[in-house]
Amino acid sequence: MSADIAQAHSNGARGARGWTDAVRLATRFVILLLAIGVAVQTFIVVEARPSDLITGVHGMADLIWRAVPPDFSKLSAAAWPTLQTIDIALFGTFVGIILAVPLALLAAANMTPSRLAYYAARAVIGFTRAVPDLVWALLFVTAVGLGPFPGGLALGVHSVGMLGRLFAETIEQMDMAPIQALQLTGARRIQVFSHGIIPSILPSLLGISLYRLDENIRSSLVLGFVGAGGIGFQLLTAMNLFQYQEVSLLLIIIFVIVLGAERISAALRERLA
Amino acid sequence: MLRVRALSLRYPDGKLALTDFELEVERGELVVVLGGNGSGKSTLLRCITRTLKPTSGEVWLGETNLCTLEGEKLRRARLELAMVWQQANLIRRSSVLSNVASGTLGRYSTFRTVCRGLPATELDAARGHLADVGLAALAEQRAGTLSGGQAQRVAIARALAQRPRVLLADEPVASLDPEASEEIMRLLQRLARSERLAVLCVLHQIELAYAYADRVVGIRNGRIAFNLPRSEVSRDAVRQLYISEAA
Repeated sequence: MSADIAQAHSNGARGARGWTDAVRLATRFVILLLAIGVAVQTFIVVEARPSDLITGVHGMADLIWRAVPPDFSKLSAAAWPTLQTIDIALFGTFVGIILAVPLALLAAANMTPSRLAYYAARAVIGFTRAVPDLVWALLFVTAVGLGPFPGGLALGVHSVGMLGRLFAETIEQMDMAPIQALQLTGARRIQVFSHGIIPSILPSLLGISLYRLDENIRSSLVLGFVGAGGIGFQLLTAMNLFQYQEVSLLLIIIFVIVLGAERISAALRERLA
Repeated sequence: MLRVRALSLRYPDGKLALTDFELEVERGELVVVLGGNGSGKSTLLRCITRTLKPTSGEVWLGETNLCTLEGEKLRRARLELAMVWQQANLIRRSSVLSNVASGTLGRYSTFRTVCRGLPATELDAARGHLADVGLAALAEQRAGTLSGGQAQRVAIARALAQRPRVLLADEPVASLDPEASEEIMRLLQRLARSERLAVLCVLHQIELAYAYADRVVGIRNGRIAFNLPRSEVSRDAVRQLYISEAA
């Protein structure tokens, strides 16, 4: 009798397992179909026409033919916009750091003085981060006119959001025991910040800031397309005037700037680690 | 120097962590508190430092009742009350000297310390405290590079830099090997004598209590089980602390 019961249990368990396997298989099949569906709809929505790539080869070859050799006589003329591009990124990063540090202290759950300050700081960070830097640049061009200044402001405001969030996360992950130990020695709030919190998180903050500077240099290259100064503006002008040899020179400069910034940023971050 | 009078703490869930606790620690005296896990040892220290607010009772530091203080007055009172934890709790990326000197920050204005740093006299004194704990040679080293025993000695040097009247130690040897543990206890005993500090030390190591304490306080379920000179504490009384905790 007991053997029959055991057999029945065993059959039941096997049946349940088989049913589970079937459900799992069906789920995987549905997920695969969904993935294929998503991929196919992207081709439809972006109106992808692979044949155009083949017919466009001739036009592209013509463009490259007219772009070489790069016009190095325009190098001196490109120097100032290049400096502007780098300085827009530096300005934006500095502004971002200065505003993001206090904001991050308010937005870090372990440091904030009140829930209201926490939610307000998180809202500012979320908003400045959600609006793309190009949109900020358009807004500032409207507000303060054409030139590098609106570009710097755009990167600054966008960096506040990006840096604020990462700074706040760094502060939240900090080991609080040494900070509480310092508080208990009778140190004041700002002394705890300057002698406890800053030394503990400074390398992380610098690393994040350097990474942001690297990102801002890339962004500052295209801000010129909306009139916010720098080499992007010169690139757009050269494209509109069909000065392809100047375009190729500017692209070489952009490549050098991006690669240089990336290497310097990576090397400095490695030293800080 | 340190007097605890009828100290009680009831947690919001209604559990009594400390009940009518009475304790005195005189200058130059090393008192060890023994007790099982959850008996109220660390809670006692947290009530003394006022990181927990007692439900009732008094904690007197000299002529000051810490239980009545808040804000700036409490901060000032804490200058005379140094604490050493199970972990050294140093700022790992700062130098050993900077960590030790940070014990004096509260004695100076924020402007002074942030803009001009600590006075040279304090840095010299910090070097002296490092010499006291036998680590003068490591002053410029990063605190994060120290061994557990060295870090704990630096934490004690920081406590000394505070120029406290009372030194509280919450299981200061819990994460150290036997040799380093003996070293730390010898240091606490020596400092109690030479600096005339009132030292209150929570321990789990019964043998260390027998070797270094002037007085031993047994704590069980938040109440004092015994408070006796070391020589009068029987092994059986100590065993009872842990047996009844387990039961």
